[in-house]
Amino acid sequence: MTAPVGGDLAIETRGLRKTYRSVRGRAVGVEGLDLQVPVGGVHGFLGPNGSGKTTTIRMLLGLVRPDRGTATIFGHPVPRRLPEVVGRVGAIVESPKFFPAFSARRNLSLLADAIGTPRSRVDVVLDEVGLTGRARDRYRTYSLGMKQRLAIAATLLKDPDLLIFDEPTNGLDPAGIREIRRTMRSLGDQGKTVLVSSHVLAEVEQIADTVSIVARGRLVASGRVADLLGSGAGSRAVRVRVAPDDVTIATSVLETGGLLVRREHGALLVEGLDDAGAVNRALGERGVWAHELTPLQPDLESVFLGLTQHETPGAPTRGRRRRRGGPPDPPAAREQPSDLATEVGA
Amino acid sequence: MMRLLRVELRRLWARRVTRWACVGILVLAALSTVVAYGTARPPSPQEVAAAEGAYAAELEVWEAEGAEQVADCEASAEAEGATPQEWGCTDMEPRLDWYLPPSQTFVADAGQDPAVFGSESVNTDDPATAAAVQEVRGSVWNGWAGLSSLDDLAMLLLMGALVVGVSFVTAEVNSGSLGMWLTFEPRRQRVYWSKATAAAIGTAPLVVAGFALLVASSYAAFASFGTLGDVTGAVWAEVAAFTGRLVLAGAALAAIGVALGVLFKHAAAAVGVVAVVAWASLAFGYAFGELQRWLPTTALTAWLQGGSVFTVENCTPAADGVFECVPVDHVVTTAQGGLLLLAATVVLTGAAMLVFRWRDVS
Ligand SMILES: Nc1ncnc2c1ncn2[C@@H]1O[C@H](COP(=O)(O)OP(=O)(O)OP(=O)(O)O)[C@@H](O)[C@H]1O
Ligand SMILES: [Mg+2]
Repeated sequence: MTAPVGGDLAIETRGLRKTYRSVRGRAVGVEGLDLQVPVGGVHGFLGPNGSGKTTTIRMLLGLVRPDRGTATIFGHPVPRRLPEVVGRVGAIVESPKFFPAFSARRNLSLLADAIGTPRSRVDVVLDEVGLTGRARDRYRTYSLGMKQRLAIAATLLKDPDLLIFDEPTNGLDPAGIREIRRTMRSLGDQGKTVLVSSHVLAEVEQIADTVSIVARGRLVASGRVADLLGSGAGSRAVRVRVAPDDVTIATSVLETGGLLVRREHGALLVEGLDDAGAVNRALGERGVWAHELTPLQPDLESVFLGLTQHETPGAPTRGRRRRRGGPPDPPAAREQPSDLATEVGA
Repeated sequence: MMRLLRVELRRLWARRVTRWACVGILVLAALSTVVAYGTARPPSPQEVAAAEGAYAAELEVWEAEGAEQVADCEASAEAEGATPQEWGCTDMEPRLDWYLPPSQTFVADAGQDPAVFGSESVNTDDPATAAAVQEVRGSVWNGWAGLSSLDDLAMLLLMGALVVGVSFVTAEVNSGSLGMWLTFEPRRQRVYWSKATAAAIGTAPLVVAGFALLVASSYAAFASFGTLGDVTGAVWAEVAAFTGRLVLAGAALAAIGVALGVLFKHAAAAVGVVAVVAWASLAFGYAFGELQRWLPTTALTAWLQGGSVFTVENCTPAADGVFECVPVDHVVTTAQGGLLLLAATVVLTGAAMLVFRWRDVS
């Protein structure tokens, strides 16, 4: 993806750096992050534990001061001019946090009063997240999922143009996850910008238009989901099904050809090749005929792991920076595991 | 800004700590009423009869041996180089009121005997200081009477305001809801002001109502026994002035509470620091000598009671190597106490605001 011009960016950071001082010295939270989030649509913000996602979000919201670097939201430098844009930004940072002894309604009505939103809006957003029935109970008594819903309701109080969700589906039940996913997708479709950090890559793959992947506080990849999947950053594979009697010979034929072969549910998973036709040819030459030959598109998980698996927490920071660019490959006939097969946007 | 202040006031009043503070005030008023009833009740005829019996018996002994006892006392005093007055030799004759159960009036009688009621002689050469000392000791808050005991309870109200101020911000820090709040209003200076102002304004009604309740219940107790004493317009004027100073002190302490809450983040730490400072300055205040005038407790007392007197022993080595000590009285005026309180509030608020402005919030 070529860098969009400045006006089209909802969020842009340049060289953003944050270290935390502690008794044991300095811990790097974010190490020179260049993040670009285009206006409109859902942007996945991915990275292993401790890679600096939450820290970045805190810096964008003015909760934490960067040591160095700049950040803008809708072109306004933050945190300096955050007050001008904060009304357009709804955010949940990490776990939801409200006054434990107050009810959901009181918590939200205090927030609504603080920004001058009519209190009637409180009931509307509570209804939107399905909390009306428990609105008068103390926040303390809520389940994790209900707390998460309340946090989402709070972000909707402002009717924001940019929503920042840090692991919003954490603790939700499957129906809840699906609902939040729908909400995020529909917000994206309405032209709002949604920045979502998540460890559930299948989820991000379904709803995100673009993603940024960070590791050790740096950007390692970013772009359209489809481009990343077609980029070869993850490995490509072909699923081959042959007659049961031919499995052994087919395996040895392919392995002799330098391919990596795994057995999976009675089929062979062949990795390390560019062209599915090569498999067919090699097998045919030995008189083995495939019943099925399916090129498998790598999923976001394999791309993610390919880019970040050497980035274990605590390892010294290396200058590992890879940014993908160039035109997208035409998406290949893409087969997805059936549990991921819904709600693919964009 | 006004909007934020209104929201914070709403939050303050919805908090359980604030509601518990109201309950605490009611309990305090109830206890003080019970005590007031105890001391306001004049001695019953039986008690008077018993006291008269005991007094008569002692008087008999005195008449027989009194002269001898006084002579002994004076001899011992002289041996130690003290005057008979210092040893109390002049005050040995039994009096009926020693045998009566203690009973007070709501305000002390104008002609109260200073020797009996704990106001010692004035130790100063400076006539202006002497006048000030006399004035402080003569105030309605310094006698031995129902009204005079209420100023200590007023201190409890002030501690309540401080605790409400502390927990108003620490609860927010510890629950993490401050982070959420700042995503709605990122201008930290405003956020700080709204919290400090809300605590200062919001606790004022509690302090006023609490003190009014204390005065009213005590007055009612004494009135019911007809032992009010000489309650003049001047007394009520002083009560009103005291209430005014109490409200200002309450606002200052609530703001100090907010500042300490921000600086220490944990309610227990902030309140603990205040408790240690207060305890140390009450228990070891004398060790500070003339520096006592800078102690927070002295300032607070001076501000509330219309001045405060402390005595320092001025010791100089005499020719034979023995130290000779002369007590000297010092006065801290209302204005000095108030200024010190104000300065403490301003300094702590400034420090807390700086910290709050730049601190990372998680
Ligand atoms: N308050 C803090 N004090 C010290 N170090 C911190 C603090 N907050 C974060 N860090 C460190 O900064 C790094 C980045 O943390 P951050 O929470 O931003 O990661 P993350 O990407 O959100 O991780 P996760 O996926 O687990 O939520 C980590 O190494 C973490 O230990
Ligand atoms: Mg995180």
